[in-house]
Amino acid sequence: MSDLPEYDHAEAGLSRRDFLRTSGAAATAAALAEAPLTHAEEAPAKIATKAIGPQPVQLTLDVNGAAMTTTIEPRVTLLDALRNYLDVTGCKRVCDRGTCGACTVMLDGKPVYSCTLLALEAEGKKIRTAESLIDGGKLDAVPAAFVKHDAQQCGFCTPGFVVAMRAAFDQNPNATPAEIEEALSGNICRCGTYQQMRDAIAALCKNQPGLGARRKEG
Amino acid sequence: MATSWPKKRRLIGSKIQRLDGPAKATGKAKYSYDINRKGMLHAVLLRSPYAHAKIKSLDTNDAEKMPGVKAIHPIKNVGDELFWAGEEILGLAADTEEHALDAVRAVKIEYEVLPHLVKEEDALKNDPQTVSPVGGKRTNVLAAKEATSEGFEKGMADAAMIVEGSYGVPTICHQCLEAHGLVAEWNADGELTVWASTQAVTATAAILAQHFRLPANKVKCITHYMGGGFGSKFGPDIQGIVAAELARKAQAPVKLMLDRASEITAGGSRPSAYGKVKIGATKDGKVTAYEVDCYGTPGVGLSDTVTFNALPYVYPFEYKRKHTRIRTNTQLQRAMRAPNHPQNCALTEFILDDLAAKLEMDPMQLRLKNLPQNDANAIQNAPHSLPALRHTIYTREIEIAAALSKWKEKWHPPGKSPGIVKHGIGMALHTWAGQAVPQRNECTVIIRADGSVTARTSTQDLGTGQRTVTALVTAEILGLEPEQIALEFGESPNGASSGSGGSTTIPSQAPATLRAATAARDELFAKIAPKLQAKAEDLVLERGKVVDRASGKSWDWKKACAALGEEKAQATGFWTAAESNKPENKDVSSSGVGGVQIAEVLVDTETGVVRCTQIVAVQDCGMVVNRLTCESQVAGGVIMGLNYALFEERIMDRATGRQVNPDMEFYKLGGIEDMPKILVHLHDMPERGVIGVGEPPVISTHAAIGNAIFNALGVRVPHTPFTPERVLAALAAKGGGQ
Repeated sequence: MSDLPEYDHAEAGLSRRDFLRTSGAAATAAALAEAPLTHAEEAPAKIATKAIGPQPVQLTLDVNGAAMTTTIEPRVTLLDALRNYLDVTGCKRVCDRGTCGACTVMLDGKPVYSCTLLALEAEGKKIRTAESLIDGGKLDAVPAAFVKHDAQQCGFCTPGFVVAMRAAFDQNPNATPAEIEEALSGNICRCGTYQQMRDAIAALCKNQPGLGARRKEG
Repeated sequence: MATSWPKKRRLIGSKIQRLDGPAKATGKAKYSYDINRKGMLHAVLLRSPYAHAKIKSLDTNDAEKMPGVKAIHPIKNVGDELFWAGEEILGLAADTEEHALDAVRAVKIEYEVLPHLVKEEDALKNDPQTVSPVGGKRTNVLAAKEATSEGFEKGMADAAMIVEGSYGVPTICHQCLEAHGLVAEWNADGELTVWASTQAVTATAAILAQHFRLPANKVKCITHYMGGGFGSKFGPDIQGIVAAELARKAQAPVKLMLDRASEITAGGSRPSAYGKVKIGATKDGKVTAYEVDCYGTPGVGLSDTVTFNALPYVYPFEYKRKHTRIRTNTQLQRAMRAPNHPQNCALTEFILDDLAAKLEMDPMQLRLKNLPQNDANAIQNAPHSLPALRHTIYTREIEIAAALSKWKEKWHPPGKSPGIVKHGIGMALHTWAGQAVPQRNECTVIIRADGSVTARTSTQDLGTGQRTVTALVTAEILGLEPEQIALEFGESPNGASSGSGGSTTIPSQAPATLRAATAARDELFAKIAPKLQAKAEDLVLERGKVVDRASGKSWDWKKACAALGEEKAQATGFWTAAESNKPENKDVSSSGVGGVQIAEVLVDTETGVVRCTQIVAVQDCGMVVNRLTCESQVAGGVIMGLNYALFEERIMDRATGRQVNPDMEFYKLGGIEDMPKILVHLHDMPERGVIGVGEPPVISTHAAIGNAIFNALGVRVPHTPFTPERVLAALAAKGGGQ
């Protein structure tokens, strides 16, 4: 195991390394011990150690601008914390292994698979789910394009696609259709709504001003 | 009284956005998987890790003592035999999902592992007898079905050209994104409510009522949103029964949704079909005889893996057909979107192109020569049926598809594309019934004094757009807009309905809605006419208003409805196959569609990678109700067919008897960047009434792609999925690329 930066984890309130150490996972710790240590590793005193788990811990997440508190075991994924403990169900559990994208949420604006993150890693970050893309009946431009072009059938993958596409436009409001398609390549639809999704993408890419305006509101 | 669609149609046939679109796209729609009830427990199933084993001992003592465990429900017991890896052994419910998963691992179980068969071809040499006994026999290979038409021998003897080939399609998995499962909750009065991911709301309630010996009105099934079924979700299933049992034992609501590996290994599969095919024809391309000898596995089940009586598929050739079912230690096959038709299509359409190549004919011309004729008897007795129209429909659809795909410019003899990356174009035909079912389907329309309108039905919307269709038809009749119709949908107490299988929902439900809305309108007229000082028979509806044709006076819809006072206008309409078949109702719904697809591919002869660049899908479905969602259904079917062609395969491990790709990483499905351009053309035939379209567009895509690859290479890749490995193997077998 190398000590390359793991941006998602390192930027979280608690890094995976901290978590593993504090949770006292002996086998994992042994595995880590075999890895070459960096200066940071050799100076554990710098890390504020906080005993976490295996008993349930209290956790507060910032979900769509609201502080939501629950008590979970540290092993609970962000996806399961949102769905099973906080009743935020727009992110869906499908593959549960970081393949299909149905669980996609934005973490500080970046699209992530919430099934591959621990809920603890999301503490202190701004979590945005598809539910944030409608405000008092007013639809964000991305889900609005999905509706207009019928880019959904059963709809179970749709919030994941919508969040991934919203994040892609947020990162690059001038994205081309090909760039948006690339941003969606981590999402899978079973009903086969890609043709209509392309219609939605084409319309959104053509209509940048409207998209930008809505983005600011969101 | 005769039922008919309005002559002048304002909404029917237009493009109406899905009414539940905003709720679904923003994650607000609550699927069964999303239901969280107060005090709800989470349940998991323990499954057999072996493809064939006997339970030697089963000890749940430790599991019961694990933190949070509230109930255990046994499914199998000591001494029971397990016949596939994934077969359910017990269910367990705990306060959290984490606790449930921990506890199920604490169940102590010993197995006597027995020999298994998971690859059907292995049984052809030697029957290993590894399945449950049927009539006292454990044979894996069931006796073959055989049939021969009268003119077959003469047809084969008369053939100037005979071509033979072997073709096949593997078992694939439904891969519903919302897993099978449900939330079950009992109330203090002993009534059961389930929120089930099902394509059969009323049947799910009925099966649960039967299991628990409860009157039908004590069990309610709710399915407001459903995340994909494709034929695999027709009842509560074993997990539904177990969840309800656990909920009763624990006296708390229980959620039991399958995890992904279980969804794939136990949630449904489309059976395989492999066959040797032989076809004879005259020199000018008139097929004289067709012979097929095929086999496939229904898993542990007994059903055919082809539609035996429809081989050859679509074309009325003289035939000799043989089908062998090989039972394997794999999950029971389930209906999957046009069950068995894709298999028939492959076993028929591939050899037609191989024949055309031998005859040096354009395969489109070969098909046009061999289309079934319109049936003279049907023209007399059932002029809107497919037999009466099939030659006309297919001929026209081929013309349209040829024009849209520029077939004349793009087709070339097989293997005559230059370069390393070769272009190919190919086609295939399909058919499906899609008629109203014999069971009663109901819809109730209620008009209230404030002008609000409710349409109520128990039927389910799997993502087909049925909810929007119900509103659209109601609004059409009442002169309103679809979004003005409040929908009470997908709840079993809402009246009679049938499961959404066989593309039967729209032809069963839309006419029921038509009748309900029409009768509710007439009741409204009868009730308000005296107050409006008009005669009921003079009243008509125009867009948003009630008009008195006698006086010329008109009232805004809301004002007119206000005349209902304390009353409401309410009516229930129903539809059945028998209603559809009545001569006076002949324009309302009918049966039987054709369909033509043309695929274009680029095949890299160095890497074997196939890229599908375009698919033209021409599809009839009688009267198009909602053009927007109808086109989506067709494009979606094409994409599912493309996945079948290029990516999907259940891969079983001969040694362990387990599936090696029960996930979404190695069980491949295409993403947006894999998609071709899809041109959908709806061949609208409103005079035929409503016919379902959910299934037919999935049937022929893989065959069209397979034929396009043949056109590109001049070499047949015989089995789907057309992976680089298979393409390269086929090229190598024929001496490499050009």
